[in-house]
Amino acid sequence: MKLGQIVEKLHLETRVAVDALDNEVNNGYVSDLLSDVLANAEKGNLWITLQIHPNIVAIAGMKELAGIVIINAREPEEETISKADQERLPIMVSSMSAFELCGKLYALGLSGTKDNAEGI
Amino acid sequence: MTLNEICKILQADFIGDVKDLDKEIKMACGSDLMSDVLSFIKADSLLLTGLANPQVVRTAEMAGIAGICFVRGKQPQPGTVKLAEEKKIPLLTTKLSMHESCGRLYREGLPGCDELK
Amino acid sequence: MNPVADCIGKVYLAVMSSNNSKKDSFTARRKIPERRKTDDLKFTKVQELVYELKIGDAMMQKVITTTPQTSMSKLREILRDNRISGTPVIENGRLVGIVSIEDFIKWLAEGAQDCPIKNKMTTNVKTMYADEPLIHAVSKLDQTGFGRFPVVDRQSKKLVGIITKGHIIERLLRKMEIDYHEEEIHRYRASHIFEDIIADKVALTFRTYLKGGDFDRAGEASSGLKKTLERLGIHPQIVRRAAIASYEAEMNVIIYAESGEISVEVQPGEIHIDVTDSGPGIPDVQKAMQPGYSTAAEWVRELGFGAGMGLVNIKKCADDMELTSSPGKGTHLKIRIDIRTTQPQTKAG
Repeated sequence: MKLGQIVEKLHLETRVAVDALDNEVNNGYVSDLLSDVLANAEKGNLWITLQIHPNIVAIAGMKELAGIVIINAREPEEETISKADQERLPIMVSSMSAFELCGKLYALGLSGTKDNAEGI
Repeated sequence: MTLNEICKILQADFIGDVKDLDKEIKMACGSDLMSDVLSFIKADSLLLTGLANPQVVRTAEMAGIAGICFVRGKQPQPGTVKLAEEKKIPLLTTKLSMHESCGRLYREGLPGCDELK
Repeated sequence: MNPVADCIGKVYLAVMSSNNSKKDSFTARRKIPERRKTDDLKFTKVQELVYELKIGDAMMQKVITTTPQTSMSKLREILRDNRISGTPVIENGRLVGIVSIEDFIKWLAEGAQDCPIKNKMTTNVKTMYADEPLIHAVSKLDQTGFGRFPVVDRQSKKLVGIITKGHIIERLLRKMEIDYHEEEIHRYRASHIFEDIIADKVALTFRTYLKGGDFDRAGEASSGLKKTLERLGIHPQIVRRAAIASYEAEMNVIIYAESGEISVEVQPGEIHIDVTDSGPGIPDVQKAMQPGYSTAAEWVRELGFGAGMGLVNIKKCADDMELTSSPGKGTHLKIRIDIRTTQPQTKAG
């Protein structure tokens, strides 16, 4: 599924890299721990987090994630935006909680992982 | 939704001695940042988290959280389990990811903390 | 060991000094409340206990004593070995005097020529009876400023124990723990308890030392506070707010400072939580109050903290919050929570 479709269906607000929304999203990944994302997220995942500081851009770039959604109505720091702009990494914000956003993504068909249909 | 139902949906196992199968869970919250949990979570919620340190149990104690489910197969240290037993907070662990766990519970009708006013 | 006193660290029972009563006017003014109907019974628990428990219930029974014939040089060993600052002096089972560390220092200053204790002890000893209500000890300790009173049996005048503020509060907390039942919490009304306490001008103070970097014990102080507030019958929502605010503040000390202290005073009507630390201080307090602003290192974030929500949370839980900090010196956080209303007066901006 294209990131742009998700943004539209879940009313996410794109803060940076609007022109990169045709990224393909294969699943969601929810975490607020950078080490966890570094270890376990997969290429093409849409990262859902509360973290707003610039390091999230570096991590997402390294893991080739499709984009980041910042939840609970928090806003990315300025430096985060400028870094994401350089990297052409889309960052969206939502007033939803992680739980609710996951629920809605899941309902759109983003479930399981590429390697394992059970989502393990 | 009872803890027992949640266990089945998430293919989760209990850790430690607190096994309140019939405990009623009204809503859920998924987070790894304890300050956010303390800020947003309501009492009687289930906390889903990828962190498994004693501070998760402390946070649950302070905020009156009904139960904790560790995701991605995380297993807390014995000291953390003991603390949860002292505080009578049930612990679950599931091999599912956070995304998958939240998605399944939401599908089965469990609301998030911000939805249930 | 008493788990309650253990986890809240040092506990004091302070008697607020605004009352200018003469000796014993305290008890004359304040009789045991007459309303003893079932519903009222629960919420006056703290106050009842102070009246109903006897000094004999709270005192320490094992007392190290000396005799008038004990030598002053022997006293030196007794004080040192037992780490005490004085002993009652007993002759034929009767209390005949008290000898304190002050008497001992005076003797040293006078040349330390060995002599029996009877030459140096204070003979006009203030004592209390084991069958007096505990409230007598509370007020007398406050009025005299003495740290301890020997306790004697009213009939035989024999020494039976010793009482300090620490023993009193320990006994009260333990008693409340024994009597504590989950369902009672919801029946208690905090304001009623404190209406009773206000009449007695009693406030509870808890102080806990915090060690920076001690993540294993992080949260214990706030956990103890939560338990104590529950036992005092304070409304569950207020207990939750106080516990969350205190916990966030405690974590800040553990994460950022070398050491610190949480001091909680439960007054009639409000809870004051004071957190001081010897940490690096906050250069820009206003900025630190912004949601999401954080200077935390990555390892702190990996613990689930340091996402810039702690102070915001504290503000949300408090009725008043004051943060003062000077870089290089430390930080002082003052939190006030109203006990009488369940919703905070001021919301986070």
